[in-house]
Amino acid sequence: MIKPENQISIPTQLPSGPRLSIPLRFRDRRRVTILLTLAVLGYITLMTLPTMIPSHFKLTEALMSFAENIKIMFLQPRLVNTTFISLLGVLGQSILLAFLTTLIGSVLAFFFALASTRRLAPTSLVLGIQSFMAVIRAIPTVLWVLIYSVVFGLGANAAVVGITFHSVAYLTKVYADSMDELSPEIIETMQAMGLKKSAIIRQAIIPNLIPSYLSWTFIRFEINFADAIAVGAAAGAGGIGYQLFMSSSFYFNFHEVGVMVYMILAFALVLEIISYRLRAVKHQ
Amino acid sequence: MLTVNHLAKSYDGEKKSLTDVSFSVHPGEVTVIIGPSGAGKTTILRSINQLIRDDDGEILFDDTDMRQLNRSQLRRARCRIGMIFQNYNLIEPLTAIENVLHGCLGTKSNLAGIFSLYSNREKETALKLLEKVGLKDFAYQQCRNLSGGQKQRVGIARALMQHPKIILCDEPIASLDPKSTITVMDILRDLAINDGISVLINLHQVDIAREYADHVIGINNGQVVFDDRTQALSDAAITGIYQKGAVPERSLVHEF
Amino acid sequence: MNSNVEEMNDFFTKKRFKLTLLIVILGAAYIGASMGLGFQSHSLLNIQDGIAWLIQNFIPNEASKGYWHEIVQQLLRTFLVAVAATSCAAVISLFLAVIGAKTLTPAITISWVIRGFSSLLRNIPIVAWAMILLFSFKQNDLTGFLALFFMTLGFLTRAFMETIEDFGTEKIQALQATGATYLQVIFQGLLPEIAVALMSWILYMIENNVRDATLVGLLTGTGVGFIFNLYFKSLRYGAAGLVVLSVIILVVTVELISNLIGRLLS
Repeated sequence: MIKPENQISIPTQLPSGPRLSIPLRFRDRRRVTILLTLAVLGYITLMTLPTMIPSHFKLTEALMSFAENIKIMFLQPRLVNTTFISLLGVLGQSILLAFLTTLIGSVLAFFFALASTRRLAPTSLVLGIQSFMAVIRAIPTVLWVLIYSVVFGLGANAAVVGITFHSVAYLTKVYADSMDELSPEIIETMQAMGLKKSAIIRQAIIPNLIPSYLSWTFIRFEINFADAIAVGAAAGAGGIGYQLFMSSSFYFNFHEVGVMVYMILAFALVLEIISYRLRAVKHQ
Repeated sequence: MLTVNHLAKSYDGEKKSLTDVSFSVHPGEVTVIIGPSGAGKTTILRSINQLIRDDDGEILFDDTDMRQLNRSQLRRARCRIGMIFQNYNLIEPLTAIENVLHGCLGTKSNLAGIFSLYSNREKETALKLLEKVGLKDFAYQQCRNLSGGQKQRVGIARALMQHPKIILCDEPIASLDPKSTITVMDILRDLAINDGISVLINLHQVDIAREYADHVIGINNGQVVFDDRTQALSDAAITGIYQKGAVPERSLVHEF
Repeated sequence: MNSNVEEMNDFFTKKRFKLTLLIVILGAAYIGASMGLGFQSHSLLNIQDGIAWLIQNFIPNEASKGYWHEIVQQLLRTFLVAVAATSCAAVISLFLAVIGAKTLTPAITISWVIRGFSSLLRNIPIVAWAMILLFSFKQNDLTGFLALFFMTLGFLTRAFMETIEDFGTEKIQALQATGATYLQVIFQGLLPEIAVALMSWILYMIENNVRDATLVGLLTGTGVGFIFNLYFKSLRYGAAGLVVLSVIILVVTVELISNLIGRLLS
């Protein structure tokens, strides 16, 4: 059985031999890059893993307790300190927060993207906006919210502005990237007809951009929903995240955490169905 | 109408893609530029409306040199120069009629461009033009649903919407089937004869050039090697256009 | 001819009406959401206050220089934990994705189970992961590592699975037609072809996890998130500013390295 396989594998490799003569260096560069990156990542991981487990740590005990908590969460969800209706209310707040920040973010980011696409803007402006956005993106959302909660006071204002910061920076980049992907010929054609910039943006760029604009904005909405929960917990900005934080770290009530996780999963399921539909429409 | 004098262009500073190109285009005539690929046909066409900035020479359109215009003057001059592309370059998600109407936006205000404001007269003209190219029934179809030949005819209607004095066609039939080719070429010839528009076409099909052109310009290696009435285009002249001066060695290497 | 123009006027009116309606709906939704949250729109105009405050208070001063050593140490830990979590998750994800991808799966039920599992892991909020893990594993790096690991596992399994499915059934069948075994198909045919795509997902995830590690650290009391919280709550803004600065430098560096690798791979 081994022999025929060997015989088959030789002729399949041969024809690719001579063809490889030119792309060989190109392929080698890729291969070396991948292997080197994997080696570095593997080394870091293997060096880090042993140092993470603290001394006098009872791994089995921790795992047992973790399994127990998972079981309580998923198999015995129950409410004690709060009602289902009030939880629905705070879930709604988190959704509203995600919606509002996505809306504001996508409008602002659209104008920033116009000013930072290579198709329309001068290189210096493109580089300036892109690096500025890269710095904003580098700061985690939670830190933005904490910083603004000192300036505006803890509450909705800080949460909205904080999450919006990151959304604008993220969406500016992806919108600008999709504009860069547009064929330069389309803009050239419009210029050849003597159209002004405003007309080119409105009549040529926007109609071509709508599908990718929609799908990126939706992806950002999903991220903002996760961020809204995280910010609620870590910065005390309200919503279901705050309840989650209180139940788990003050009341140590994992039954209640289970209910909230189920509620969040249900909403995530809705989002996933919508995104599946959107992708189906896009592929048509 | 249009006169090009001593046009020169180099891409990387050394190798010249155009060395010294001069020719004229007359109203009501179909002028065809032929030559091997890489000879500089597209560069010539794009230099005329300054989509490519050339290095040297003079491009006289209505007695003004296109090369000397500032940005807003250039934009206004471009409004009277129609252009047709091999890949049609329509805005595919929009309808045929919207694409045709884009042709008149160059002369209109920012506001009109942003809110798609067109006068009744412009709308009427756009419909007449679609009728002229035989696509009246497709006015409200999205362009992405049209066939290649139909797209090119929308492209022609869009160019006509500019009320152009000249139409530049960059390989207009290269992506079309034989039947659409004839339709499109017939329309272009008709524009020259009946509307008095100058039509300047880049082609690589010599037989089509012979059939439709009034005037033929042969380009090889960035130089004009033939410039005469179509009747003078003998077989020997064609061989000359495609071989004389030899294809640069560089492109031979690429063949292998 | 007039009726034709009327038809066109109708067309443009309808288009404009739809657009206006969309804007009105979004505007109403904006107002509704703002009222529901108690958000005041004018705070958007006061963004510069935050920036100004940031610049005034977060300038590292003489006193904050003393914190430099601790910050760098915690930053390094955070980075290592993020990389380790991503790498470990990537290995397991690849395995799950291979047996879960519709084109390679031994049974379609397995595919659905893995799909559901990855969706579950991805959608459980990282806050919940951090909190449950904190309770059992206490305040240490392992907690942060596991929280990031579970999220990443869910995300990468899905991403890898889609990458494999995009590779296509035909190519796999072509390989099988040469008599290659299941493992040969995967190691000789599939992996070399999709290695670049997988690599860029891993790099993207590392970038993301370095940022998320700050959040997880804040919740679980470890790493750079913890010390930011500590300095911030005790009003040592200079030191907190230094933390933010160091996070910016780390994330931008990781992004630049990942862009460089991406260019080498293209």
